[in-house]
Amino acid sequence: MTATLTNTPVLETERLTLRAPIPSDIEPWVAFLVSDRGVWHGGGPENGEGGAWRVAATFAGHWLLNGFGLFVAMEKATGRPVASAGPYAPPDFPEIEIGWSVWSDEDQGKGYASEAAKAIIAHCRDDLKLPSLVSYIAPENARSCALAERLGAVLDAKAKRPHPDDLVYRHFGEAA
Amino acid sequence: MPTIPVLETKRLVLRGPEPEDYPDFKATFTSYRARFMGGPLNAYESWMLYAAEIGHWAIRGYGMWMIHDRKTDETYGMAGGWKPAKWPEAEIAWIIWPDAQGRGIALEATHMARNYFYEKLGWEGAVSYLDPKNLDSIRLAERLGATKDKDAPSVDGNDVVYRHPSPEKLRGSQLADGIALEIESYQNPLFQPKGYAID
Repeated sequence: MTATLTNTPVLETERLTLRAPIPSDIEPWVAFLVSDRGVWHGGGPENGEGGAWRVAATFAGHWLLNGFGLFVAMEKATGRPVASAGPYAPPDFPEIEIGWSVWSDEDQGKGYASEAAKAIIAHCRDDLKLPSLVSYIAPENARSCALAERLGAVLDAKAKRPHPDDLVYRHFGEAA
Repeated sequence: MPTIPVLETKRLVLRGPEPEDYPDFKATFTSYRARFMGGPLNAYESWMLYAAEIGHWAIRGYGMWMIHDRKTDETYGMAGGWKPAKWPEAEIAWIIWPDAQGRGIALEATHMARNYFYEKLGWEGAVSYLDPKNLDSIRLAERLGATKDKDAPSVDGNDVVYRHPSPEKLRGSQLADGIALEIESYQNPLFQPKGYAID
């Protein structure tokens, strides 16, 4: 097994290059995960830097376990990693999920999450041929709910969900 | 491209954790056996940790190997290096599935992993962060020649730090010979019956 992610796809959008994580992503990724907004992604201040690092390591390991995973979005203009988004498939999730996050407050509001998610949803449907794709979003995460709706996802009240409070936004496919 | 190295000992093969090994990992980490490793974990936490064990290799270039039987490929546990964020120093760590304990497997695997870190990766030392109630692991640390370091920073104040002998102290030492001899006695018991006396 390779310790480095090889032969992973690279997706291009107008302003972003989407690629699998590399070791130098970990520092800014952990800085995001340990912040207040990181709480939606298994991090948050309460879990500390140690907890955030493990979440980032989980995302890196996900690629090697499943052959796909979260992309890191690099801003083409600067080469900086600015966001992450991609399919996430723990064995006890009812369906494969797509999540997204813009890492720093300054990069919010530029439409990066939307630009990345659009390209990745198409990749999941057309290249990976996933049977379905949903987003599990906490109802109080209004910003992500709004983005799911802008992406054309439809609320699915009946689908199974990992946590009873989650909303299920369906991007494509039928409930498992 | 760098790959997770495969290490072989007389009885064992150490390979990177693979998807098909996950059920064995989950069985131990969701059980009471994992009480000294932050467990028992729920199913989701256990999967996250497994993915993180693999991600650790991608981030650090070293990590924890899955220990397999050379003949049957059965898994016995994990051993290797561990240094997530906030770890003061690189740790040598191990966990053996409950059914596989008492056979010197952790000693054999950990000794091999430590040699790899010292001789191939150029580590100048290592520690193990142990729960003071984890007597089996404290005993293993001592069999590996590690000694309690009261002055070294611990992970969170609830663990004791065992410092492994440096590569210089280990290379060609009586200690290394003793470890090799102990491993040998598990592989081929000195006092194993050779047959029955007939008179």
